[in-house]
Amino acid sequence: MLCEVFNMSSFVLEPFIFVQSAIAPIHVLAAGANGLPYLVPIHPNLVHLTLGLFIVAVTFDLAANFYALEKPLFKFLAIPVTRSGLYDVGWYNMVGAAIITFFTVAAGFYEILLAAPPQDMVSPWGLSARDTMVWHGVGGVILLALIVGMTVWRALERYFWREDRARQVSWKYLGLGLFIFALMFLHGTLGAHLGGDFGVHVTADRLIRAGIDPNQLSVPPWNQIPEDPQLLPKVD
Amino acid sequence: MLENLLPPLNDHNLPYPDTMHPIVVHFVIAMVLFAVVCDGIAFFTKNYRLQEVSWWNMVFATVSIFIAIIFGQFEAGLATPYAAAVGDLNLHTLIGWSLSGVLAVITGWRYILRLQGSKKLPVAYLGVNAMLTIIVLFQTYLGDKLVWIYGLHTEAVVEAARGGLLP
Repeated sequence: MLCEVFNMSSFVLEPFIFVQSAIAPIHVLAAGANGLPYLVPIHPNLVHLTLGLFIVAVTFDLAANFYALEKPLFKFLAIPVTRSGLYDVGWYNMVGAAIITFFTVAAGFYEILLAAPPQDMVSPWGLSARDTMVWHGVGGVILLALIVGMTVWRALERYFWREDRARQVSWKYLGLGLFIFALMFLHGTLGAHLGGDFGVHVTADRLIRAGIDPNQLSVPPWNQIPEDPQLLPKVD
Repeated sequence: MLENLLPPLNDHNLPYPDTMHPIVVHFVIAMVLFAVVCDGIAFFTKNYRLQEVSWWNMVFATVSIFIAIIFGQFEAGLATPYAAAVGDLNLHTLIGWSLSGVLAVITGWRYILRLQGSKKLPVAYLGVNAMLTIIVLFQTYLGDKLVWIYGLHTEAVVEAARGGLLP
């Protein structure tokens, strides 16, 4: 239906096809070609939120602890700043990270269960796809526990232990935060190996490995040569 | 010239181990979305302390988007997109650069609102927040397509492109 509309008046609709082709579901790959019942993996998207929120939370607490140092800088930039405002970012972002990370880990395990990585290669760290997934899964649970633990620790310092102090956050908390940054870097690299090297849930990689040219993705749904089962990627 | 300054390209077609752009965009996607959520909660609960949180998150997002664009442009240049991926890569580039302007304008507006010191945010600002959310989500979806559907910079795609198999 949509195809007919586009074919008949493609001249008029030309500018819209640009956007349309970007949002139109790609029939060839819809469910299945990436090994998932949806178009793109969810876990990497939630990872944006987990990492962004956690790293910014610790960074702002760090900035608040060193408040005296950057105060002249903010004054120079004509940005009013209060120390408690910076600590608020440290606290609320950490709460956000803790909540969202349950979903990040859950989505990650679901997508690990549906992964069918190539068996004939190792990662840049010399690990097989299976080992990489195991480490990434275990690491995910550990990081979730650490993030929740940090949130509880932060809450205790904010509302009980250091409630009356100008420096709301202890150096130990920040030390652990920086250590978790390092863990996250290692952990994220394992995740990058799964996507970028093994091509887990990457549609094009799976098509290439199955001997199919991913350029067929370019054919908009309204121009596709109908049903050649040979061309359709198998759902496993 | 650049080839002589940088290490040789690896099997992701990059002079460094993994793509940087998807890492830097953590700080745009997460911070913008969290800022919008905090503004929303502050609006309904009148916990105006959260508006300070969203302001700083917007500042962080605005600084980050320019770094994201620099890496994005560099990695797009090395992406060797095949025919199927070109359209989405171009649209992602166009929206990305535009979004830096949109985000800078909104954060600038927020800076003024914060200086003026009135607690309640104008409804128009919340409307702009909603629009910003839609653009960011769509832009993220396009980036997802580039990585997870077209597999740009993944080993298999780079290998196929180098072998001349991906016109």
